[in-house]
Amino acid sequence: MNIAETTPVLQVDGLVKHFPVSRGLIRRKVIGMVRAVEGVSFEIARGETLALVGESGCGKSTTGRLVLRLMDPTAGSVRFKGEEIATLDKNALRRLRRHMQIIFQDPYASLNPRMTVGEILAEPMAVHDLHTEAERATRVRELLDVVGLLPEHARRYPHQFSGGQRQRIGIARALAVNPDLIVCDEPVSALDVSIQAQIVNLLQNLQQRFGLSYLFIAHDLAVVKHISDRVAVMYLGQLVEIAGKRDLYDRPLHPYTQALLSAIPRPDPSVRKERVLLAGDVPSPFAPPPGCRFHTRCIHAQPRCRQEQPELRDAGNGHRVACHFYETLPKPPAASTEGSLGKLPERLAAFEAAKAARIG
Amino acid sequence: MEKLLEVRGLRTHFHTDRGLFRAVDGIDFSVGRGRTVGLVGESGCGKSVTSLSVMGLVASPPGQVEADAILFEGRNILGLSADERRRLRGGKMSMIFQEPMTSLNPVHTIGQQIVEAILAHTQLSPQAAKARAIEMLELVRIPSAKQRVDDYPHLLSGGMRQRVMIAMALSCEPALLIADEPTTALDVTIQAQILDLLQDLQRRLGMAMLIITHDLGVIAEIADEVVVMYAGKIVESAPVDALFADPQHPYTIGLLGSIPRIEVDRERLSTIEGSVPSPNNQPKGCRFAPRCPFADTRCHAEPPPLRDLGPEHRVACWKAPVELARAA
Repeated sequence: MNIAETTPVLQVDGLVKHFPVSRGLIRRKVIGMVRAVEGVSFEIARGETLALVGESGCGKSTTGRLVLRLMDPTAGSVRFKGEEIATLDKNALRRLRRHMQIIFQDPYASLNPRMTVGEILAEPMAVHDLHTEAERATRVRELLDVVGLLPEHARRYPHQFSGGQRQRIGIARALAVNPDLIVCDEPVSALDVSIQAQIVNLLQNLQQRFGLSYLFIAHDLAVVKHISDRVAVMYLGQLVEIAGKRDLYDRPLHPYTQALLSAIPRPDPSVRKERVLLAGDVPSPFAPPPGCRFHTRCIHAQPRCRQEQPELRDAGNGHRVACHFYETLPKPPAASTEGSLGKLPERLAAFEAAKAARIG
Repeated sequence: MEKLLEVRGLRTHFHTDRGLFRAVDGIDFSVGRGRTVGLVGESGCGKSVTSLSVMGLVASPPGQVEADAILFEGRNILGLSADERRRLRGGKMSMIFQEPMTSLNPVHTIGQQIVEAILAHTQLSPQAAKARAIEMLELVRIPSAKQRVDDYPHLLSGGMRQRVMIAMALSCEPALLIADEPTTALDVTIQAQILDLLQDLQRRLGMAMLIITHDLGVIAEIADEVVVMYAGKIVESAPVDALFADPQHPYTIGLLGSIPRIEVDRERLSTIEGSVPSPNNQPKGCRFAPRCPFADTRCHAEPPPLRDLGPEHRVACWKAPVELARAA
C-alpha cells in the first residue's frame, strides 16, 4: 500500500469561522462575532462516510462549506489528500474542486431552471475541461443511468421533475467530474420518507461503486445511523463527540448526544418510553456560554463545567468526547429497548420479494 | 365512544388552470372525544387539505369543499353560516400550524394576539383576558410569562413561538385541537418538548386532537388511532398498535419499511418505487396500483372500497387481508 492510499481524503484541523456582526448605518461598527465554528477537527478516510450531526445553528453546514472552501476559514487547516487548501490560490483551488463536490438540501434551488438536465450535467465537465463534446453527451447518458433516470430526461428542465428526481439530478451533477469526496448537505431532509429511502440507497450504491468518501451533514440521527461509518456530533460550533457508528449509538458518552438520541420519536408504539427532555433552547452563537457550551442545558452540569472548557478526550477505540465527567455520568436509559415490530418484518419481506419478482 | 367529529364523504377539489385537482376525494373518518387521531401521508396526499376543510379554511374559489356531512358535536357544520363557523373556529375547534413564525403577527406582542383570540370568543374584560393570556403562557411552560407576554414574536425561538401558538389555540378551551405538522419545523430536542407538552395538556384539558404529520415516529408517540392517506384517499385506518404491528395496505407496509430506525440494523431500506401520481391525473383503479408490487389487473381497473377487516381496522385493498391473499 503506498502513501496516497493511506492518507485520509480529508483532514480538518482546528477549523474556526467567525462572522462579524456590525451595527450602524453610516459608521458601521463591528460589535461582535458570531462564533459559528470554533476549533473543529476530524478526518475522513477513503471510501468512508463521516456524518456531521447537530441541530439548527450548530455550525455543521458552515463546516461543510469551509471544507470545500466555499467560504474562507478564520483559522485552521483543511487538507485534501494531504494538500493544504485553506491557502490555495484561485486556479489551484478550481483544479482541486474537480475532486470535491457538493449536494445540497434543496435540489430545486440548486439547479438552474433555464438549463436542460443535459446542460446541467455537462457544465461541470466543460468547466474542468474534461472530454470532447461528443464524449460529454455519452457521459450525460451514463450519469442519468447511474442515478436511475432515463436518457430522454436530458432534454427536460428541472421543473418537470419531482423532488426525488431533482435530487438524483443534483447527485449526477456531483458525479460528473469523478470526485473523490462529496459533501452531502442535508440531501434527504426535504424529501418524503419513501423518496428519502430511495436516495439513501442510491448514495450507498454509488459509494460502493465509485469508492466515494462522504461528509454527510444531517440533523436526523436515524438516517445518519443508516448511512455513516463514523458520526461527529456538533453543538454550538464545537464537536462534542465523535465515534464509530456502533459505539456512538450503543454507548453515547456526551450528555448532549444522549439527549439527542433519546429525543428521536420512535416509529414503534410498543415502546412509548420515558425520555431525557432537554430544557430550554440552544444559546446564541453570538454570545456562547463560558466553559462547556452545553452546561446551560445539561442535567449533570457541575461548577467546573461553567468555568472550564472541556477538551475532546479519547475514550478508547477512537471514541472521543468533550465532557469533564463522562466517566462518572450515570448511564442513560437504554436507547434500544426491545420493541415488537409484529408482523411488519414478514410483510416487508413479501413486499420486497414481490418487487424483485416484478423487476426480474 | 362518543364521536366528537365525524367526517363523511369529504371531497375537496380545486379548480385550476391546469385542470381539476381532486386533493381529497371521498374520505370518511371520525375523532372520539378526548382521543388523538393521527392523519399521516406524504406530500400531496391531501392530509393538510382535509384539516383545512374541517376548519372551514379552504378559500373558495378555487377550492370547493363538499361532503355528505361534517358532524361536530352532532351538528352538521357544513350548514352553518359564515358567522357561526367563525365562532366555532378558535373557540370549540382550534388549529396550530407548522410554521409558528408566519402564523404570528410580527407587529403585535404575543399577549395582544392571545388576548384578541380570548376577546373574540368570550365575555371576559380586557384585563381578565390579559390575566388569562399570562395563565395560558404559564400553562405552555413559557418561563417568566408575565414579562414575555409583552414580547414581540421575533424575540422568541421557534420552539417558544410554537408554544405561543398552542397557548392561543387553547385559550378558549377547545374540544378539538387540529395540529398540522406542529413539530416539523423544529429541532428534534425541541420537538420532544412540544410533543410532551401537547400530551400533557391533552390529559389535563381532556380535548381531542387531530394531528397531521408525515412523521410516523411522531404518530407512534402520540396517536391513539391512525388514518393513512394516499393520493386523496384513505388507504388504511386502525388503532395505532394494529397499524404498526399488523399493517395491511401495501402502501402502509412500504412506508413503514422506508423509515430509517435507530433501533434496527439493516443494510438497505425498503423503498416504494416511482412517485405519487399527479392530483389531476389519478389512476383509474387503485391509486397505489402503479407503485404496488402486488397489483394485478383488477387493481388497475377498479378502485377498492375501504372495508372493515377487524375491530376499527379498515383497509382499501383488494388483496387484504394479506395472509389470505398470499395463501391463494
